[in-house]
Amino acid sequence: MKVEGIEAERRGFRRWALAPSLLVLFAVAVLPALYLVVTSLTPFQLTDPGSATDFSAPLRNYGLLPGDPRFVNSLLVQAKLSFWGVLFQVLLGTLLALLLHTQSRIVEFARTFFLVPMVLPPIVVAVIWKLIYTPDISPLTYAASLLNLAMPSLTSSVQFALVSIIIADTWEWLPFTFLMVLAALQTIPDEYSEAALVDGASRLQIFWYVTLPFIAPILVISGMFRLIDSVKAFPLIFLLTGGGPGTVTEVTNYYAYLLAFDTNEIGYSSAVTVVMLLLVAAISLGLVWMGRRREAMA
Amino acid sequence: MSGQKSRHASHVSRRMLLKAGAATLGATAFPAPLLAQAKPFDGVTLHGASFQHRFFTLLQNYIPEFEQQTGMKVDLELSAFPVYNQQANLELSSGGSAYDFVNVTFILAARWVAAGLLSNLDEFTNDPNLTPAEWNPKDFVDGAQVPYRDAKGATYGYSWEGGAMLMGLSRMDLMEKKGLKIPSTFAELQQVVSEINGTDGVNGIVSFQLHHWCLPPYIQGFGGNIFRNPPSDIMPTLNTPETIQGVEYYAGLLKSAPRGVLTYTEDQARQSLLTGRSNIFIHSSAWVTPIVLSEESKVKDTSRVVRMPAGPVHDHPASNSQGLGIPKNAKNKKAAWEFIKWALSPEISMRIVREHGHSSICRRSIITSEAYRKLNTVNGHDLGALYLEVLELPAKGDNYMAYRTVKEFPIVGDVLNKAFEQVATGQFAAHDALNAAQDQAVANLRRAGSKL
Repeated sequence: MKVEGIEAERRGFRRWALAPSLLVLFAVAVLPALYLVVTSLTPFQLTDPGSATDFSAPLRNYGLLPGDPRFVNSLLVQAKLSFWGVLFQVLLGTLLALLLHTQSRIVEFARTFFLVPMVLPPIVVAVIWKLIYTPDISPLTYAASLLNLAMPSLTSSVQFALVSIIIADTWEWLPFTFLMVLAALQTIPDEYSEAALVDGASRLQIFWYVTLPFIAPILVISGMFRLIDSVKAFPLIFLLTGGGPGTVTEVTNYYAYLLAFDTNEIGYSSAVTVVMLLLVAAISLGLVWMGRRREAMA
Repeated sequence: MSGQKSRHASHVSRRMLLKAGAATLGATAFPAPLLAQAKPFDGVTLHGASFQHRFFTLLQNYIPEFEQQTGMKVDLELSAFPVYNQQANLELSSGGSAYDFVNVTFILAARWVAAGLLSNLDEFTNDPNLTPAEWNPKDFVDGAQVPYRDAKGATYGYSWEGGAMLMGLSRMDLMEKKGLKIPSTFAELQQVVSEINGTDGVNGIVSFQLHHWCLPPYIQGFGGNIFRNPPSDIMPTLNTPETIQGVEYYAGLLKSAPRGVLTYTEDQARQSLLTGRSNIFIHSSAWVTPIVLSEESKVKDTSRVVRMPAGPVHDHPASNSQGLGIPKNAKNKKAAWEFIKWALSPEISMRIVREHGHSSICRRSIITSEAYRKLNTVNGHDLGALYLEVLELPAKGDNYMAYRTVKEFPIVGDVLNKAFEQVATGQFAAHDALNAAQDQAVANLRRAGSKL
């Protein structure tokens, strides 16, 4: 059906009004991503400039990925890091929010204080944890020595290297879930808890049957955001472990970095990055789908 | 109208005459300004890039003199080592002309030279109008120049920095107490490291995370190598019995190193040596000699710097160098050569040594000079002679450092790094880790388009 008159003009105006924003978005987000995809179809290497436009075997890089043990391992490491990191961030963030969900000047100060790790630049966080983990100067090692305990070097130990990254990542991003949950807690009307108390519910029952249903959507959303963001743990890995020992902490983006800037395989590195991008996009779409499903069910 | 024109013409002519007269008088009376205008590179801005290094920090003190002499302005861009390498690699590979001179990083030298990304400097050194005889290109230590030559012997860079692997010992007092001599073989090194470890809270040895720099001398010492015959045959040889032996040996040494040594940076390792917390550190001279030369050293009186121990098959201490070169598409090649010629001249090299004690330069005449020897002789030990001896080695016989300058090395080096860490942390036996590493190195090289 043809739209005419004022409605057609309105639509035209909307298109013109949106055009500048869409152009900027295209230049900032879409063009680099397109360039990445195009590069991933070439065997581009810095030492061979001609390879940047060689499209003779466009899917070669993607074909090689499943047979690359370091790529497969990096996905597993990323999965472990994301799972444990997000789990701890959500659990501890919730716990902290529940503890600090009260009116007091000290608590207000504590709330602000707890946000500090999140606002620090990631590289500063990495330096802080480097100082904590380096045995020569580590307060942890010193404390252990006072107790006559021999503490391993966490970042170069096979058992503890990934754990040490998870701890640092949790420290940095726990304030995010804390803040989200605290905001959700503040929207729960007091009447529900009071009514439950009158009915004889225990604190645990109130949390389980009243508070948790209220904050559950926020927990899911913040968990999903953190899951997407957990792919960006690069500075911690770069500075603390270098992906080691061996490949114990080598996540996919660190592997992509090594391929691009250490061994100069830009084309292959782009393919790794595109796969990572698709995985993150899939999680994001899952997030949107869950949100819509919830809206539909409400 | 015509009369006006002719009057005007005659007027101009008189003015011109007056001007010319004044100019002649001025030139006779004050010749200096005219000479100043005749500077050969007036108005030229020279763009150069390198990674941050003390040499350039010192050189920057002298650059105003050079600018004064030549009339050009030098814009030197210094970045962190990995950042510079990425930028320069990208710039040169894409045929850019942003830089007039660049640092030719040792590990990138062979690929830049082979890919034709640099200018042939023989064109400058062979021209007496551009290079006076006393500049003498042959004065540069041959071992340091090897990476900057192509198969035909043409030169694409001149070295400003040399690194020669030496062994620093910080606690000779402990060794003497235990009746231990300075180790000269791998077996003796193992013994000294084990016996000193834990004595007086001292670690037997310290090292740092760049395993593919520290490890190859042991692999080669046992008769192995990283490639079969670099640069002509670049088939990796990571799972030969000799390589496995070298990896096991070095992993064994690191059992007597401080906790967390696998993630140590060079600075951490140096500090551990300088404070006497570790007895032995085997690394480039610039990192080891401060133990006897630096004010920071707390163990000056009990320290020694010597050649690293020899292996049962080869004595191949690592060495490297960094060079200055001119990109093929540079806009101001002659000006760039003028700068390189000046920066690496015997005069500037000597000034840097004399005025700042910077010793890792590559001109033989300077290293063997009396001034250099005086500055670098401690307790009767001539550190300059040690440095020169090791720096020379790759040029004698086969160039055993060739493995490091081929374009395939970063790929294989990265695999070796990972495999070594797997062995050192007990994740895999050396045999298994290196068999897997060999397969992976071959697969990665094929993926990158290398013909094996």
